[in-house]
Amino acid sequence: MPRPEVAGLRSRGRWPQPAGPRVALVGSRRPSPYGEAVAEQLACDLATAGVIVISGLALGIDAAAHRGALNGGGTTVAVMGTGVDLVYPAAHSRLAEDIIASGGALVSQFADGTQPRRGNFPARNWTMAALADAVVVVEAAEGSGALITAQAALDLDREVLAVPGSIFSPLSVGAHGLIRDGAGLVQNARDVLAALGERLEVLDDPLRPPPGAGFELARARDGLLVHLSEALAVDAAELARKVRLPVAEVVGRLTSLELEGAVRRHAGGYVRALRRGGGRA
Amino acid sequence: MLATVDSCLLAGMEGRLVEVQADAANGEPRFLLVGLASASVKEARDRVRSAIRNSGMPFPQRRLTVNLAPPEMRKEGSALDLPIAVAVLLAHQGLKPPPRSAFLGELALDGTVRHVDGVLVAARWLHRRGYERVFVPHADAAEASFVDGIDVIPCADLSSVMRHLAGVEPIPSVVAHSPDEAQVARTTEHDLAEVHGQEEARRALEIAAAGGHHVLMSGPPGAGKTMLARCLPGILPPLELGEALEVAQVRSLLGELPAGRPVDWVRPFRAPHHGVSMAGLIGGGSGLASPGEISRAHHGVLFLDELAEFQSTVLQALRQPMEAGRVTITRSGGSVAYPARFTLVAATNPCPCGWAGDPRRACRCTPAAIDAYQRKLSGPLLDRIDLKVNVRRVPPALLASEPVGEASEPVRARVIAARRRQQGRQGCLNAMLKPARLRAQASLEPGPRRTLERWAEQQGLSARGFHRAWRVARTAADLDGSDSIDDRHVLEALGYRLHDAAA
Repeated sequence: MPRPEVAGLRSRGRWPQPAGPRVALVGSRRPSPYGEAVAEQLACDLATAGVIVISGLALGIDAAAHRGALNGGGTTVAVMGTGVDLVYPAAHSRLAEDIIASGGALVSQFADGTQPRRGNFPARNWTMAALADAVVVVEAAEGSGALITAQAALDLDREVLAVPGSIFSPLSVGAHGLIRDGAGLVQNARDVLAALGERLEVLDDPLRPPPGAGFELARARDGLLVHLSEALAVDAAELARKVRLPVAEVVGRLTSLELEGAVRRHAGGYVRALRRGGGRA
Repeated sequence: MLATVDSCLLAGMEGRLVEVQADAANGEPRFLLVGLASASVKEARDRVRSAIRNSGMPFPQRRLTVNLAPPEMRKEGSALDLPIAVAVLLAHQGLKPPPRSAFLGELALDGTVRHVDGVLVAARWLHRRGYERVFVPHADAAEASFVDGIDVIPCADLSSVMRHLAGVEPIPSVVAHSPDEAQVARTTEHDLAEVHGQEEARRALEIAAAGGHHVLMSGPPGAGKTMLARCLPGILPPLELGEALEVAQVRSLLGELPAGRPVDWVRPFRAPHHGVSMAGLIGGGSGLASPGEISRAHHGVLFLDELAEFQSTVLQALRQPMEAGRVTITRSGGSVAYPARFTLVAATNPCPCGWAGDPRRACRCTPAAIDAYQRKLSGPLLDRIDLKVNVRRVPPALLASEPVGEASEPVRARVIAARRRQQGRQGCLNAMLKPARLRAQASLEPGPRRTLERWAEQQGLSARGFHRAWRVARTAADLDGSDSIDDRHVLEALGYRLHDAAA
């Protein structure tokens, strides 16, 4: 695939050598716990398979993708909308350090000292698409910046893929729209690798539940968990109504599940945790 | 001739004795008032002169000197009118006031004795100081009569007071008012029976009422946070006599006691607007500070809606009274202390637009805006709130149906039973237990202790948060009628703590 040179990129850290396939993971800055978990898991699996994970160092999906790649022992590249000397948001300075320390890079098309400006981010999204072989959209509401990246990828003849989400969530609208328009549907890292044309030893049972789900059996024992979803928060009162238990009892049992890492609190209620160890409290 | 009449002025909930000494001597007629009287007291001279004339008595044409003792104390207000007039007339007539008596009241120019603020507080204080009789404005006689053991003489006008003192026409003293217990059962305006759904918040309010804990409710606009807060007084036990008198005293100071029913058994509910000033909330003003909203909410509920909209300095000033149950304010006139033991109910939106976390409506706030909003809420004040719950909008289907929740009355019965257990065990509510007493009075079995410790480790709970959850667990156990704190009580207590991370 021809990779047009993106001229004049400034960088901190090393551009990973040898250059592997590059996948950009993009999505909402305010994802659901589901989206965040998907991004982290996907990035981790892709990094393990030798893919360089590209993202934008923003809050939400971007940060989850970088973190996942680092967890997978891989390298990751942050394409920034500010100067490379200025980490935005500042809360990600530590993450930026980790990216550089693990052999990845911060790159930017903007001069050093460039402050975050609304107008710069669409251009950055374009650059991200240009640097990647494929773009995976995880969660994107209508009008999201992630969709600009997807459009840029289409214009640049890159592969565009999307991860489906809950049909009840406004955050799924962007990804579902892309799938409807023909983007590849991503359930796991293998789907992404397949789209890249990486021929891999495939692939045991495609219906095999994703890693971490062995835990599912243990959870199913508690009557509360079947009423909880990964994407949409349910509050204790609603749950109590469904299982016909006093709310005091339900609150206590939810806490107990939270201690085990099976449940997490999220804006306005409780969600199922996707991974053991749960909360980032 | 010399006459000395006692009166008192108030500094907060305390009285300060004022001796009004009047000397009527022969010589050039004049009327001198000495003894650090402020402008408002100096005006008493003119009111007293007119009131005496218009009561059908000639104003003594003598050299009158009135001294207000002690001279180093600055005197404010109009309550000294009556004692000054009485002292002048007694001195002129060569009579003495009855022993162990005090006088309070403002005079109108026609001689009518008018209302002054704080008569209840003054009467209680005078009684403690050994006074046996107090002359008060007719309008304030009912509130003064709540003080047991002091004779209350209602004064309609100056001439009847003088006739009483001369023994011509005694004024019957007010019959001691014993508070009307029949009113106890009076239902409050807001009943939990009218609340749709919101089981989690209802439960949190029940725990708050039982253990004296503060509550924060977080939820979108229209979720019913205000309605829930207004239900809290109705599930609290009615005020006890001592508490009711303390509440009445604060109202008396502010001149807000209704004449018909000075003592009310319903707990106060105060909901100051978020624009409230420091002086309005905590207490303040010039001279001597007057009580603020937190003192008006004494023994009741202070509801702060839109918590993030309050000035942060104002909120920070709540911390000290929340710990101490009283507030001390120093102004130019000296420092005064007011009681301020209230249950704080705070309500907030989860983000500036209010819809973060709502399942059906998207939030339009940027992550940075949500962050800033949350940061404004966090900090030392929130750290002192034991119970934090999410309140969600009730689905419209549920709104249309008849509410099925429990009414306030059975909840109140449980709350009263739980409070009785606490009083019997430790003499105070669980929320007031200091860590040392908490360890002694609410010991944790190894199992529940491990749960609490495990949580503290996982979530990075501060020492304060640890004790907070412990106290709430004790209250949950008390509501359960259980002597020991079980695992489920700890687990429930931990459920009422919104994470710092969760929006």
